[in-house]
Amino acid sequence: MNRKILAAGSIAAVAALALAGCSSGDSGEAADPDAPVTLSVSAWSIETTPEFQLLADEFAKTHDNVKVELKEYDPAEYNTLVTADLAAGSGPDIITQKEVKYVTTFQEGGQLLDVSDVALPEGIGGASSYEVDGTAYAVPYRQDSWVLFYNKALFDAAGVEYPDGSWTWDDYATAAEALTTDASKGAYLHNWQSTVQGFANAQTGTDILEGDFSNLKDYYDNTLALQGAGAQVDFNTAKANQLTYQGEFGTQKAAMLLMGTWYTATLIAQQASGEANEFEWGIAPVPQLDASTAGTDNTPVTFGDPTGFGINANIDEAKADAAKAFLEFAASEEAAQLLAGIGITPALTNDAIAETYFGVEGAPADELSAFSWATHETLPENPTSSKTAAIQGILGDLHTAVMSTDQTIDAAITTAEERVKSEVGLD
Amino acid sequence: MTTTDAPEAPAPKLKRRRSALRRRNALIGWSFILPNFAGFGFLTLLPVLILFYMAFTNWNVFGKADWVGFANFQRLLGDGSFHIAFWNTIYYSVLHIPLTIVVSLGLALLLNNKLRGVAFFRTAAFFPYITSIVAIAVVWNLLFSPDYGPINEILRAIGIQNPPGWLTSTEWAMPAVVIVSTWRDMGYYMILFLAGLQTVPRELHEAARVDGASVWQRFVNVTLPCLRPTMFFVTVMLTINSFKIFDLILVMTDGGPGQATLVLSQFIYKKGFEESQFGYASAAAVALFFLCILVTIGQFLWNKKRSA
Repeated sequence: MNRKILAAGSIAAVAALALAGCSSGDSGEAADPDAPVTLSVSAWSIETTPEFQLLADEFAKTHDNVKVELKEYDPAEYNTLVTADLAAGSGPDIITQKEVKYVTTFQEGGQLLDVSDVALPEGIGGASSYEVDGTAYAVPYRQDSWVLFYNKALFDAAGVEYPDGSWTWDDYATAAEALTTDASKGAYLHNWQSTVQGFANAQTGTDILEGDFSNLKDYYDNTLALQGAGAQVDFNTAKANQLTYQGEFGTQKAAMLLMGTWYTATLIAQQASGEANEFEWGIAPVPQLDASTAGTDNTPVTFGDPTGFGINANIDEAKADAAKAFLEFAASEEAAQLLAGIGITPALTNDAIAETYFGVEGAPADELSAFSWATHETLPENPTSSKTAAIQGILGDLHTAVMSTDQTIDAAITTAEERVKSEVGLD
Repeated sequence: MTTTDAPEAPAPKLKRRRSALRRRNALIGWSFILPNFAGFGFLTLLPVLILFYMAFTNWNVFGKADWVGFANFQRLLGDGSFHIAFWNTIYYSVLHIPLTIVVSLGLALLLNNKLRGVAFFRTAAFFPYITSIVAIAVVWNLLFSPDYGPINEILRAIGIQNPPGWLTSTEWAMPAVVIVSTWRDMGYYMILFLAGLQTVPRELHEAARVDGASVWQRFVNVTLPCLRPTMFFVTVMLTINSFKIFDLILVMTDGGPGQATLVLSQFIYKKGFEESQFGYASAAAVALFFLCILVTIGQFLWNKKRSA
């Protein structure tokens, strides 16, 4: 008898727990603009990514009735976890868009609110990455773009002139070979597909959704030539030894590094902590396809994707206005100044913001660094389409096949083009 | 309750008591397996059943699961990457299963003797199995490094001019993965074979020896037939595990170079979690499920025929 009661009791308890887990609880409340509101914002690595807390705190200062809470996710599984939460109806109010290639998944799934009415400052970059058919589904607050980091000490030692902003890829290759010594390579190219394909697509104006990848050939030929000449660590060795770009450039094993502007803050911090060697460095625009976009009187072409905030389509109506106010704040010049102050590249850059950014101790002080950070045409690496993730997967296979010298670039391009046609389909 | 006066009363009373007892026993039995079964039911069985349904939809994770009939399966038939993943999985299994059986059985035979320090060697052979798979991948990646790796250094030292590119070449990436997974699994299957070897009657060996049978003859005619139940179990487990290979490939090659080591589980993972095509990924998972179940049924039938 007792056992029966126990069994029935435990079954009831389990059922109750299961039901409690399913209910989402929110019921509509009357909208009152001054009623206290709590906004939840999805974030990752809050400890090492201080931008979230900064924006939350600063926003709350001017909005007394709004409390901003951060909801932390594992950075490696961010999109999967946020997706799971949204599918279960327990997603955050503000959904941080970590990677542009997943924006359409959220948008097509009806998870993002139309935020076209959020005012954006003039000249902000990356906003188009969040537009689908003319409707904005998120606003950018941060936009890293790719630049060339170079080690001034190694340039001096090899007697090579610093980059002057006019470099094409040939100049880069010549310098890399001249900079190579027994102790250090001329350049380090990280094993991501972006390090070749990002430049190739941006500088030749190629839309990967069109499924024609012939533009990649010259860029791969260049990098394979550098690898063959020993001016950069070859792909197979870098992979087998799991080399990191921070280690290669930070400990002076390579004189040049093509990388996103996020590395600036890391390098300053690592030099301060002793993880990286003490040496003088600068940043320059990435090498260009030809002279037409090179030089400080032109706007160099590079690539990069923004990071932005979107609003959960199922947000409580009472919270929607506060959420839009948060988005507007995050994209504003005020927020850009705050972000630049902690070493983050905001989506909005101008001279005043650049001054703040380079005012940090340990940051390079030369003019070219400021120019290359603030002046560029940054094309999106990932077009906003539901096909992007699949096509990038195919191009990722092309990258490993070519860089490991397992397949010729021509054969790999043919394979990739055929796969896109048959597996993804063209518009 | 009112049966005291009737002469045939004891029978129904006994019956009732017996059925109450049976019910009680059944209830106790159920309560013992309930925690496990509830976990299995909610976390394995239910998702699997849902997966079978999802395979017939275009579900992309956000609720819109429209029924598409066999469209996903038709797409699989024409999907070049799926074909590559399918044949790579078969290729991996065909290399991995026999190699692991031979190596682990060999180890078991060797370590079944009364050697000095046999416990140490048994532990040493089992060690790879309990080592972190990521650590394994990192270290073997270094060992396989085509230009500076110790494996190719040794091959060059013994006069092989053009040693393979291992994980960097289409031809050698899969054999390299098989070498690592065999090295990793051998300890586990060795333990199973060691257990099986304890059941081989000593008298049979002695009788065979008296009859003048050589070591090889005794192995083929005494040891192997006695090991048949173990061998069957090991083969079934190895086959299923080979078809499901995922973690090692993900951390060692991520399917590369190109698609040289792309396997079915990874194809499913990519389609589902990277490209949000959960309906299509479910269809591929169903295909993998049927591949596993068909081969396993075949093995059971074959075993039944052999034991008849």
